[in-house]
Amino acid sequence: MSELAPAIPGVEFRNGPTLVVFFETDCPTCRGTVPYLNRLACSAPVVGISQDDETATRQFQEQLDVTFPVQLDPGLALSRSFDPMFVPTMFLLDTDGRILKTHCGFEKSALNALAADMGCARVAEEFDGAPSSKPGCMSRHLVPQADGERLAPISKSPRAAAASVIAIADGEDEFEYCFRVFGDALPVVPPTPERVKRMLGGTDLDPAEIVARVPPCYGEASVEKIAANAVMAGCEPKMMRVLLPLVRAVCDERFNIHGVQATTHFAAPLVIVNGPVRNELGFAYRQNVFSNVARANSTLGRALQLILLNIGGGRPQGIDMSVLGNPGKFSYCIAEHEESVPWEPLHVERGLRPEQSALTLFAGEPPHGVSEHNARKPQGVLKAICYALRTVWTYRDCMRSEAIVVMCPEHARTIAKTGWTKRQARDYLYENTGIPVREYETAGDAEGTRGVAGYKEIRIDGELCYQKFRSPEDLRIVVAGGTAGKFSAVIGSWTVGPRGSQMVTYPI
Amino acid sequence: MTTLINPMNETSVGVAKPPVRLQGLEGCSIGLLDISKPGGSIFLDRLENLLKQRYAVGNVVRVSKPTFAKPAPEVVIEKLRAVDAVVEGLAD
Repeated sequence: MSELAPAIPGVEFRNGPTLVVFFETDCPTCRGTVPYLNRLACSAPVVGISQDDETATRQFQEQLDVTFPVQLDPGLALSRSFDPMFVPTMFLLDTDGRILKTHCGFEKSALNALAADMGCARVAEEFDGAPSSKPGCMSRHLVPQADGERLAPISKSPRAAAASVIAIADGEDEFEYCFRVFGDALPVVPPTPERVKRMLGGTDLDPAEIVARVPPCYGEASVEKIAANAVMAGCEPKMMRVLLPLVRAVCDERFNIHGVQATTHFAAPLVIVNGPVRNELGFAYRQNVFSNVARANSTLGRALQLILLNIGGGRPQGIDMSVLGNPGKFSYCIAEHEESVPWEPLHVERGLRPEQSALTLFAGEPPHGVSEHNARKPQGVLKAICYALRTVWTYRDCMRSEAIVVMCPEHARTIAKTGWTKRQARDYLYENTGIPVREYETAGDAEGTRGVAGYKEIRIDGELCYQKFRSPEDLRIVVAGGTAGKFSAVIGSWTVGPRGSQMVTYPI
Repeated sequence: MTTLINPMNETSVGVAKPPVRLQGLEGCSIGLLDISKPGGSIFLDRLENLLKQRYAVGNVVRVSKPTFAKPAPEVVIEKLRAVDAVVEGLAD
């Protein structure tokens, strides 16, 4: 059944399906969408929700001749309730106020489909001078508007009942009880009311507020439940600043944690932290970045896993059906060594400002090491990584996977000192990773051989190959690790794209 | 006595009553749900033949999920609402 939309003061939906559109006045995509919404508003109800103040909104309405009613969103309360990730986001509501459909950004085909759903004629023609699609901007409620600003508490989001209190019988050791009932096969810190209260001091949010519903059992992750799991993982209260957006991100439908937790594959959510929060909260990005080096990395990654286990219900031997598992299911969290080379860090490549702290989630396999200590040129370093990239998913399988290359600073510097950008390095990896066609001649029915009709042929060093990846964007380079030693790593993906798991980046 | 804040899922969920078990398959409408894993259709083709030839089912409704990696969307479940029983085929 469709979800009931939060109430919008003064708006009723009795006149047939209604389109509610969240926008920002300075978002180019929002501005470009207005003429189409005006057209739609001629024959169906459209309501705009502005994330900006009255003056900016009035100017927006006048400049663009907005013909549909527009409401302001003081304190971004409605935005927090509807929770669009980007603007423009359109919610199609039925006469009972249920959300029938949601669409993010500008897309002509989606606008025409919405018009059809509302019983209206097409509103967007193919060749009218506008692009067929254009992504939008991050919704204001997800982005702090000034340095040091704390987001206002959400006032209209759903609430959970207070967590129940468990009394441990006299004589029973509370550590043993927690180990047995809540743990991840390692001891946890007992979430006593005092400790959970201290953890809640790390956020302004109401403890009853539901941040997300965690698949696969869709348990309600209230701020209080998240705090209790953060206590168990050993987090400091200040980590709530990162953990709350992380829970929201992991439950983003595009990331598909439902599938990531239930698969027989190795995948586990890898958290990559960028921006000032790395140094503010002590995230490690130098030596041993994947291992037991920093409280911040270890406890944030573990808190996420405990939340997936305890609130989401993705328990091993139960819904989690991984054949071999992944050591990252204890904790899988790194930060980027942004200072080591003058390359754009991951969050900037993903469209955020350098000074904006952010987290990115990728459903990844464990790291696969690449040693190259002799190469003195970019091509030599990158060729070694190409050979490891060939084995992602399985050797002969092409055009279906993505990968993260965690490049050590020494490798990155060897490449960057010749003037190569991160993008040039990535493009080289894309163009030089392929499987020789001759490898398929005697492979019989081996995995990866059935799809060759859809593979793309390229020549690498004169040899005819099938190109491993669909596009350069399927590869992401993250610089991390110690500054002595020329070891990088490749992390293969699970099933990707809209039918699998898509990488998501959230501001912190 | 030590007390703890319960960190587990306490979301209340509705309990669905299971349907009455079929007494036989003859004349029944059977849904075969292919989750779109490679090889699933081979298994379900064989099952469809067996259901028709050996058990004289009335009709077989074949439905596929768009992807094995996500829960079945409502449109897929809707197509199976009218059948008497569903077999979900997992395969690799």
